[in-house]
Amino acid sequence: MKNFFVLIFLISLSAAFAQTVSVKGKVIADNAQPIAGANIIVVETNQGDATDENGFFEIENLSAGTYTLEISCIGYEKRKVTYAVGSGMKKIFTIVLKETAFETEQIVVSASKYEQKLEDLTVSTTVIKSEFINRKNFLSFDDMLRYVPGVQMNLEQVSIRGSSGYSKGVGARVLVAINGIPLYSGDNGDVVWELIPLADIERVEVIKGPASSLYGSSAIGGVINIITKQTSKNSLTHFKSYIGAYDKPSYDIWKWDDSYRTFYGTELTHSNSFGSLGYTLAIKKFDNFGYRQNDYYKRYLGYVKLNYTLSPGSYLTIFSDYLYSNRGNFLYWKDSRNALVPKDEDNGNYVKSYRSFNGLIYHSTLSPKLSADLKATYYRTKFDGYGVELTTSTANLYRAEILTNYTASEKFILTTGAELSYAKVSSNIFSNTNFFGTGLYSQFDYKGIDRLTASFGFRYDYFKLDTIGGKNAFTPRAGLNYKLDDNFILRASVGTGFRAPTPAEVFTTAGVGGGIDVKENPNLTSETSISFELGMLFNYTNNFSVDAAFYRTDYDNFIEPNLTKEGDIQFVNLSQARIQGFEAVVDWSPLPNELQLIVGYNYMWARDIEKNKAMKYRPRNVVYSQLKYSPGHFDFGIDFRYMSKVEEIDFALTEAPLVLVKDGAKRVPVYVTDFTAGYNLLISGVPAKIYLNAKNIFNYYYVEFIGNIAPIRNISISTEIYF
Amino acid sequence: MYKKYFCLLSLFLIIISGCDKGIEPEPETKSGPTGFGGKITFLGNWPDSIKRTHIVVFKNQIQNSQDFFPPNLSFVVDSIPYKSAEFTYNSFEDNFYPIFQLTPGEYSYVVVAQSKTPELSLERKDWFVVGVYSQNGDQSKPTVLKLSAGEITGNVNIVVDFNNPPPQPPM
Repeated sequence: MKNFFVLIFLISLSAAFAQTVSVKGKVIADNAQPIAGANIIVVETNQGDATDENGFFEIENLSAGTYTLEISCIGYEKRKVTYAVGSGMKKIFTIVLKETAFETEQIVVSASKYEQKLEDLTVSTTVIKSEFINRKNFLSFDDMLRYVPGVQMNLEQVSIRGSSGYSKGVGARVLVAINGIPLYSGDNGDVVWELIPLADIERVEVIKGPASSLYGSSAIGGVINIITKQTSKNSLTHFKSYIGAYDKPSYDIWKWDDSYRTFYGTELTHSNSFGSLGYTLAIKKFDNFGYRQNDYYKRYLGYVKLNYTLSPGSYLTIFSDYLYSNRGNFLYWKDSRNALVPKDEDNGNYVKSYRSFNGLIYHSTLSPKLSADLKATYYRTKFDGYGVELTTSTANLYRAEILTNYTASEKFILTTGAELSYAKVSSNIFSNTNFFGTGLYSQFDYKGIDRLTASFGFRYDYFKLDTIGGKNAFTPRAGLNYKLDDNFILRASVGTGFRAPTPAEVFTTAGVGGGIDVKENPNLTSETSISFELGMLFNYTNNFSVDAAFYRTDYDNFIEPNLTKEGDIQFVNLSQARIQGFEAVVDWSPLPNELQLIVGYNYMWARDIEKNKAMKYRPRNVVYSQLKYSPGHFDFGIDFRYMSKVEEIDFALTEAPLVLVKDGAKRVPVYVTDFTAGYNLLISGVPAKIYLNAKNIFNYYYVEFIGNIAPIRNISISTEIYF
Repeated sequence: MYKKYFCLLSLFLIIISGCDKGIEPEPETKSGPTGFGGKITFLGNWPDSIKRTHIVVFKNQIQNSQDFFPPNLSFVVDSIPYKSAEFTYNSFEDNFYPIFQLTPGEYSYVVVAQSKTPELSLERKDWFVVGVYSQNGDQSKPTVLKLSAGEITGNVNIVVDFNNPPPQPPM
């Protein structure tokens, strides 16, 4: 009898268990990497789970039925999925979360040379995540910067809040760095955007304001810091391929080729780890036949990164990045009737270049409070320009930096560092020169007062350019961040900056066509600046935020190319320049994770104080907007950019008597609209994406620089898969 | 509802982007060189030590020393031989700076100027204006030179009277 009751009990128990189900799954990012710590909640119940380090979760004891799971994780778009689970079954499925593209809070940034929350910064900073880069199929890194509020591109030259005009990339005022390591060349101080491996970017941090107190020369206008991904713990291969074509111009007289001009590229990246050793390998080939005559390029990129964990607190990273490029050299149009054709004397000119960027980063956690980094790089650049005459330049740049972070307590953080750089240039246009620079910097961050973060830093630099006497620079900076409440943050900063002239600005001696020569100017001196910013971040809800800032920068001895009384172009020091303005960015998600609108507006008045006229190539009004609609597995987006017509350009090159660029004064306000459509799918359980990108969909013709029509309407299809 | 906003915004973008094509090609113009020509007549004795005598074209009249410099300085004709009595010229053939091109438009100040510097200087202080293009003989009232595309405007004649120099522009 007793056994009978036991049997009845077991049968009852079995029946009870037969009525419950469990849901088991895995949460991965759209690059197939597992997401740890994601929260999974069964809607309208109190049940849920969090993913383990491999991305797995399991929710047990659910009754058979249909459930909606809500999956969320910081840095990713929240998702809801609905599943019908039958009695007694175990449902195992994969959920893919998409990274959020732009972040304004709760994101850790390392632009201040140590990791801190974005909301604690004292200067305007925008963080762009890799998802945005993938979605838009940018052909090179600088294409992406055209969509960042406050950032302006004049051809390949980047400017933050008007810091730069256009000087063929020479003498950048925005420091571009990879993992905090500057990426400027040794001769003309330019940035070769194609060298940046897009597939290995984790995020991009854009600091909008002088950062010379930490980064020294070249950071006078701001910093763009590119953070690369961690090497994968598991085997991960990423394949991306794209093909596209430019439309034909609307005006028959502009048609110089009967066929559609195409561009295409293929990229393969593989990452894995064996014990303490991780690696990332990437190869990329990208060709563009150009919408303009003699504006083609063929490029090959090779990238290797090794990461070796020496101990739980220390690691060594070694990387090597190599780029070969062969491109046509389109300088200016022939005239506005031949806007896509170069001047006769330039047609057929081309440039071959070789870039090799190599380095190591050694990080050691010496104690719970103290860590140190050693960063050393060797950057070799070489180009040969084939035209009427051969122009050539080879530059070897060596750089080393040691950095320490001391966290005395949660309230006090001290960052100190020292930096050395040496460049040797061999060139027939920049002459054979060398450059030596050294810097010492320190920054204190204090959080001892409730809701207040105070930051004070300074840097001392000494630099010497060839035979010209050595110069010193001292650049202090101070900033405050005050949280009125959790949703309203005020920030203020005042800082100084400096920029040493590059060898190219001082020593260039070359013809630029039309009988115009660039002449050296050994008397060129450093430019300095003082700037302040007052900003705020207001999060009305999690789905609506406003970031706004007033800014002003006064420059002394501002360096710009100018026409001399001898009829040559020479880099000279302007007496004084002032740039001031207002910037606001509104981020609104009326349907969280489905519909998002970002609108940015920048008003800027940049002027030469002495002549009381606008500075060249700086538009007064700039509007950016991004509308993104992501229903289910689809992605749709519209991006729009407006820039008012620039008031001042190099009129000396466009007007009589020189008329180097016929009709070169033609310029218009910029209205550019892009459309993106994408579909995220799983192929045998691994995520894949297909994107259609239509850029400049209304085929609007505009210039960023005189005599250079910007890309006309083009359509591309890109596919990528992770396995 | 939100789809309506999406459509409205799309429509807005289409309207503001589609209503203007941006940069357009210039209309076709008459081919051939644009310039001017004429005769310079010299009266009186040439001053000593003159190294250079040029016909110089300015877009606007000279208000300050900066106006003596491009882009206001628009053209320079080859140097006139010392102690010439007459000089016939054509800007297309006698272009001192081949990189300088005359474009269609109006030029308010066309002069004959002399300098004592062996090399051509673009400093106002190095020059003395000895003749001004003026059709009524009053050299204090310069005549505007009008150039048309693809045409050489003739009869741009200037009389230089060393005994009666014109008013000098500001230094």
